[in-house]
Amino acid sequence: MPDFSPVVISGAVEGLLDEAVVERLIEYVGGSLGPVYGRKGKGHLLQRLDGYNQAARFAPWIVLVDLNTDCSCAPPYQQLLLPLPAPHMCFRIAVRTVEAWLLADRERLARFLGIARDIVPSNPEAVRDPKLTVVALAKRSRRRQIVQDVVPRAGSGRTVGSAYTSCLIDFVRDPNTGWRPDVAANLSDSLNRCIRHLRRLLA
Amino acid sequence: MKREGTKNLRFTNVFLENWKNFAKIDVDLQRRVFLVGPNASGKSNLWDVFRFLHDIVAVGGGFQNAVQDKRGGVSSLRCLAARRYSDIIVKVSIGNDDNPAFWGYELHFNQDNLRRPIIKAEKVMKDGTLILSRPDSDDRNDPKRLTQTYLEQVYANQPFREVADFFLSVHYLHIVPQLVREPERSVGKTKDPFGGDFLEQVARTTDRTRTSRLRRIQDALRFAVPQLSALELHRDPVRNTWHLRGKYEHWRPRGAWQTEEQFSDGTLRLMGLLWASLEGTGPLLLEEPELSLHPEVIRFIPQMFARIQRRVGRQILISTHSPDLLQDEGIGLDEVLLLQPGSEGTSVYPASHFQQIRELLTGGLTLAEAVMPATRPQNVRQLAFFGD
Repeated sequence: MPDFSPVVISGAVEGLLDEAVVERLIEYVGGSLGPVYGRKGKGHLLQRLDGYNQAARFAPWIVLVDLNTDCSCAPPYQQLLLPLPAPHMCFRIAVRTVEAWLLADRERLARFLGIARDIVPSNPEAVRDPKLTVVALAKRSRRRQIVQDVVPRAGSGRTVGSAYTSCLIDFVRDPNTGWRPDVAANLSDSLNRCIRHLRRLLA
Repeated sequence: MKREGTKNLRFTNVFLENWKNFAKIDVDLQRRVFLVGPNASGKSNLWDVFRFLHDIVAVGGGFQNAVQDKRGGVSSLRCLAARRYSDIIVKVSIGNDDNPAFWGYELHFNQDNLRRPIIKAEKVMKDGTLILSRPDSDDRNDPKRLTQTYLEQVYANQPFREVADFFLSVHYLHIVPQLVREPERSVGKTKDPFGGDFLEQVARTTDRTRTSRLRRIQDALRFAVPQLSALELHRDPVRNTWHLRGKYEHWRPRGAWQTEEQFSDGTLRLMGLLWASLEGTGPLLLEEPELSLHPEVIRFIPQMFARIQRRVGRQILISTHSPDLLQDEGIGLDEVLLLQPGSEGTSVYPASHFQQIRELLTGGLTLAEAVMPATRPQNVRQLAFFGD
């Protein structure tokens, strides 16, 4: 009997939101997310990159890193960080952070945040700090709860609000009104490449 | 009768002199507070101030009871760093975001020659106006009056009843999962801070309240435990006992139910804490909510409480040892209080007070990385020499 169980892909990510995005992407291409490593920021993850790559010689892996402003362009950066990716390694860079991928589904994000679609930037990969952009958009929300969750209080000294992460995780996970990877891929080349690479991994 | 126009009251500031570890502190409090410090730096002693105020107004409590019976008298309360015979001063501001100092309550006390606790001053401020100031002429004529606060006396506290009610609403919790699992260990207890009557409490609420609370707990847990698809209270018809059960989705198409006996200690404790945070509106004091939880789940705790809080709005004061908990990037710097023991007592400052911490965060460190080294016990290196 043929085996129909989904391919299990291990992952390493920077944080909890990235994890939810990776989970959604793998589910979208028909795989299943296995154990997730890292989740302690970019530096922590990059230090262990060789280890993940070693493991990806025998089993499928996805490692997702934010480009931030560390380099102007993703491909040379990717080459620099991991010159020799293992055969089952899907090492991807989000331009400039994973929030840009969420911005790329303008219609759904606008509806989720309770704002007009037109104020969501139409070229998310050109946004310098997508996280700040999401916060700035949420500030204009019609829904009080979104403002409370996403926008930092005055005096908090942080860039995001107290329930920012869980709020966006809700958006990513909701299958009916949440984030759509296929739609977002039209506006984000780095997401498009990531999805294509994941598909190759499953083929 | 309509209550006075104050909603969502919380402690907005606490000022202490000579209270336990604290020679003198003055610190602002947000709606959510994380108290971080080395062992024995006084985390519980700081929260004890709020329990003390609660004990003064509690039924069967009172000032004498709160100082003498519950805390062993003035001399065991007074800070070791205090100069001899100094007064102990407790001063709190109560308000909300619009008016942080709507109420102020201040109590100075000491002991008399017979070591009886005695009030040196009691003041109440309302919206910037002093409405009570003791000792007054009556107190001077009859010094015995100074063994009781006006706060604890229904006929005397009427102009500031809201303050007394607010102190009464303070709730302390340190749930022990074993007690929840085996409730017979604490039969007959009500409002047990260690969670012995937790299931009974759940069962006592009306169906509607219970369903809505369990739904909100599930909502708060959902993004940390996505497999949990339902939570409900279930009655065992044979033994006639109540059980909390959760439904997990997995390879069985309909999922499977688990009762609290099968829940992990951590999950059970977490549910207890979340339930408690939905019950009541007054400040909630939580000791180390991270205990017996997996580090991966601990990271979700701040977000869970943020989600619970957004509708209830009650103040949650948490003491913690966990760096995992402080990794959350939504925790405000003004929400984290650092305790630093010193020869002149322990000092308390919000993380936002330290320029170094602000700079480290700007440079990309997490709050945990920036804060935890500052809370490390000063003599921890000496401990390492002990075995040599």
